[in-house]
Amino acid sequence: MGDSIDCREAHARLQDYLKQELTPELEAEVRAHLHRCAPCFTHCRFEANFLLMLESRARRCGCPDRLRARIAGLLQAEMERD
Amino acid sequence: MAEPSTAGRAFDAEALPHLDALYRVALRLTGDESQAEDLVQDTMLKAYRSWRQYRPGTNAKGWLLTILRNTFINDYRRRKLEPVATDLEAVEPHAIYRAVEDVDPEGAFFSKIVDQKVLEAVDALPAEFREVLVLSDMEGLRYGEIAEALQVPVGTVKSRLFRARRLLQARLYDYAVETGIITPRETHDG
Repeated sequence: MGDSIDCREAHARLQDYLKQELTPELEAEVRAHLHRCAPCFTHCRFEANFLLMLESRARRCGCPDRLRARIAGLLQAEMERD
Repeated sequence: MAEPSTAGRAFDAEALPHLDALYRVALRLTGDESQAEDLVQDTMLKAYRSWRQYRPGTNAKGWLLTILRNTFINDYRRRKLEPVATDLEAVEPHAIYRAVEDVDPEGAFFSKIVDQKVLEAVDALPAEFREVLVLSDMEGLRYGEIAEALQVPVGTVKSRLFRARRLLQARLYDYAVETGIITPRETHDG
């Protein structure tokens, strides 16, 4: 238990592992493999850094204030109509 | 000014915190700030009017993004010239990691590319790839939520996402090489 998957399977499950979409059992198996396999660990870190980079780029822009105000006004009108 | 109803207050509390995410996704889908603003506004009005259909306790962000995506498909996408349909299954870009593992195993080059270039590369992805990448990797929706929003099986979400990432990595790598951000250790071009 915990050390039964090989590099090929760990690689195939990497995407789901990084998105926390594996069952707890599979997640534990992938994590165990990454702890004992340096090449897979390094690859995983590369993919994780790519995802972190994407997420951080996404968060740098947001809803403009004028749009926020416009929507608040429209919703207020809708609510008053109800 | 009338006091907002209980339903109105509940809507405000659940929906308004997601305006940033709605706007970001709208911007990536439309590629245009003015259209993105209209799309978010239409989405919020539709969401308010169908608020009774929202199941409390489920992910409001996913629910709102589903409305936004449907509104985009129905009312906005037709306005833009559609790109030639990509044979999605045929896109199998190579894994960039193999090309950089010796020179940049941590993928530090990604962080050296300016925001604008990263977003341009995202925008240049085929539409079917772009939407799953934006919803999953930029906005953090679960596979199941994306599958529901797109009305496709989870397996389709996963395979599109896998290809979207590979394609994006390949394009960012090409850009990094062209601009000297990364120097390949060796070339295999002959």
